[in-house]
Amino acid sequence: MARKPKLLWIQSLTCNGNSHSFFNHSNLFSILSHFELIYFPLIETKYSLEDVLRKKVHSDILIIEGAIKEDLTKGGVNIKELIHHYAKESRYIITAGTCATFGGIFKQSEPEKISGFAFDKENEKEDILSLYEHRLISLPGCPIHPKWLSYVLLMIINRRRIPLDEKNRPQELYGFTVHTGCVRNEYFEWKIDTHGFGHKEGCSFYENGCQGPFTHGSCNKILWNDTSSKTVVGTPCFGCTEPDFPKERLFSTKTNMGIPQKMPLGIPKRAYLTVTGIAKSFKIKRLEKKVIDYEK
Amino acid sequence: MIVKKLIEKIEGEAELEFDFQDGVIRNVDIKFNLYRGIEEILKNKAPRDALVITPRVCGICNHAHLIASVGALEDGINRSVKKFEITEKARDIREFTLACELIQNHIKWLYLTIFPNLNRVLNIQESKNYALKAMYVSNTVTKALAIFAGQWPHSSYAVPGGVTCDPTFVEVMQAKSYIEDVIRFFENVVLGIKLEEFLAIKSVTNLDKLKGDFARILFMLGKNGFGKIGQSYDRFIVFGNSKFSMPGKATATTVSGADIKFVQEFEQEGSFAKAVKYKDKFFEAGPLARGIVAKEPVIKSMHKKYKDSTLTRVFARIYESAKLLYVANEILKNLRIMQDSCTLDSKIRLEEFEGIGVAEAARGSLIHKTEIENGKIKDYQIITPTQWNLANGAAAAKAMIGLRSENIASFVFKTFDVCSVCTTH
Ligand code: SF4
Ligand code: SF4
Repeated sequence: MARKPKLLWIQSLTCNGNSHSFFNHSNLFSILSHFELIYFPLIETKYSLEDVLRKKVHSDILIIEGAIKEDLTKGGVNIKELIHHYAKESRYIITAGTCATFGGIFKQSEPEKISGFAFDKENEKEDILSLYEHRLISLPGCPIHPKWLSYVLLMIINRRRIPLDEKNRPQELYGFTVHTGCVRNEYFEWKIDTHGFGHKEGCSFYENGCQGPFTHGSCNKILWNDTSSKTVVGTPCFGCTEPDFPKERLFSTKTNMGIPQKMPLGIPKRAYLTVTGIAKSFKIKRLEKKVIDYEK
Repeated sequence: MIVKKLIEKIEGEAELEFDFQDGVIRNVDIKFNLYRGIEEILKNKAPRDALVITPRVCGICNHAHLIASVGALEDGINRSVKKFEITEKARDIREFTLACELIQNHIKWLYLTIFPNLNRVLNIQESKNYALKAMYVSNTVTKALAIFAGQWPHSSYAVPGGVTCDPTFVEVMQAKSYIEDVIRFFENVVLGIKLEEFLAIKSVTNLDKLKGDFARILFMLGKNGFGKIGQSYDRFIVFGNSKFSMPGKATATTVSGADIKFVQEFEQEGSFAKAVKYKDKFFEAGPLARGIVAKEPVIKSMHKKYKDSTLTRVFARIYESAKLLYVANEILKNLRIMQDSCTLDSKIRLEEFEGIGVAEAARGSLIHKTEIENGKIKDYQIITPTQWNLANGAAAAKAMIGLRSENIASFVFKTFDVCSVCTTH
């Protein structure tokens, strides 16, 4: 039997949310059974953090969690340098989460010093990409979706090529928008708003700031915790997989003469306006009503 | 003699510096290094954006941050903008999802921290996959949470006025099945007896009914002297008011009222973490504090026999998990889904106010303070439970002083359920 690939998970500047998100995977141990787990922050392995920091272990697949900060140290070891040490020998490098991929929330505290591993927001870090581009897989999301990560790990194990986009994101996950599969699609089609928070009826695109139509990701195709998603429960999508996450005023839609400023991905404004004009010229009674009458 | 130890597999890492004199620990210096500047990041943002940013303080107690954060906004709105109340339904759903997060946390702590570390300290070789048990509970209980909150970690479904979700009974019944699954696990694996039978126990003398992993951990701790070590200040504090917590403070088991205005933060030299005191004194926060302040009979009985020792502290956390499961199930049984989910207009302008929000997180009282000016966050302050417990000189440090081994001390430290990311934020 061939040797199992070594899986090494390193944390940089992070909230630990990706570790906890992945740990919640229903099939966690079946997935891990394909690997030799060298280090993962929540599970005991043969090796200690000291061993990782002292470069006593090896890595075939490196998972990076958290943003890169120039001078961050743990136990006296510079983490950026440590990540490069293991990246050099790894066959795959996965940036797990928006912080590791683009810089994320924490970048805002010291923008010059903090960034993603290979991207600084939108921008490519050319020195890094020239070294690692062909081994790099970006998995943004705040936090990472457990099943997106397992998809990548199992593709690697099964020796299948993962189609990537220009930011090294798997197209099978990020080729869709969060809008794809949202239960509120019918209301989007007919341009019917939620009218505030706390309603199963309506779409959050018009007032509540939903970024689903222009956010790359499969949150509504591969549900969260196998059960739901933000937009399903009436929370707007905040675009947490995007390089510019977090934007400002996350609970309200920026509009221009009543029309959302930012268009659904790839849809020309003219097309949107035409469709909207038609949709709005009809009153669809069923969609204006509450779906269920509960006797109070 | 100074002995340094890197503590890992807590939330983040900490470095402990033990000062040994004549073989006894006289002082412990606790260092956390993961400062991320969340409070700075919040400045000048729209008030509601805190509901998205603050959960990112912590991957394991993110939901508590959301609840404290929305509480701060609501407090401010109520005091300075508009009087309103959230519905019982909204309150219940928030308490339910928070309870789910606490259960997730406590069970991970038991199986990912306590069992493996105790085995290590006591040199017990075992090949059990405790992580599998932790994963099962965490996975199942966060499914129930996500049914209402959309996802875990990092939901932002609580907004001023209530919650964004509007569940039908289809969702409620699904959530109930998940909770029942976890209760079944608890009865079969953790307690070895029925949940209600366990919760009816009022005195330590009846704990011999327990079987399962809980019995095992109590036996191991008791046999190895953990009922006599780990005592701290014996002062406890709770600010959150919910179906699973009562506000108040206690010295030993004498309970009195507590007022948030006496809470003060202090800079600590050489550390990113600030210490917190109440009227100039250190207090302990967390499940033990909640049990003592709520005068839970079995916790009082434990305290009478074992004081605020490591054994009592561990007991209190597992006991609380059982109680939370019961509370979560009751909430779902009685949930009035016909009430409004959200009672505040989403367009209400948030221009100028100050507000304080509190949530009982897994590790204790979490306090958020927000100050809004010109429609923007002027100042935001977060006081986390771990600041109560883990600052230099605070509860955890005190519990380690007088011990003779840094390994035992590190275990005592971990029973406080250490979270370095929250401490520094
Ligand atoms: S991307 Fe989000 S979940 Fe991941 S470390 Fe950053 S804040 Fe935490
Ligand atoms: S709520 Fe958001 S994701 Fe859902 S249909 Fe509307 S715009 Fe799309």
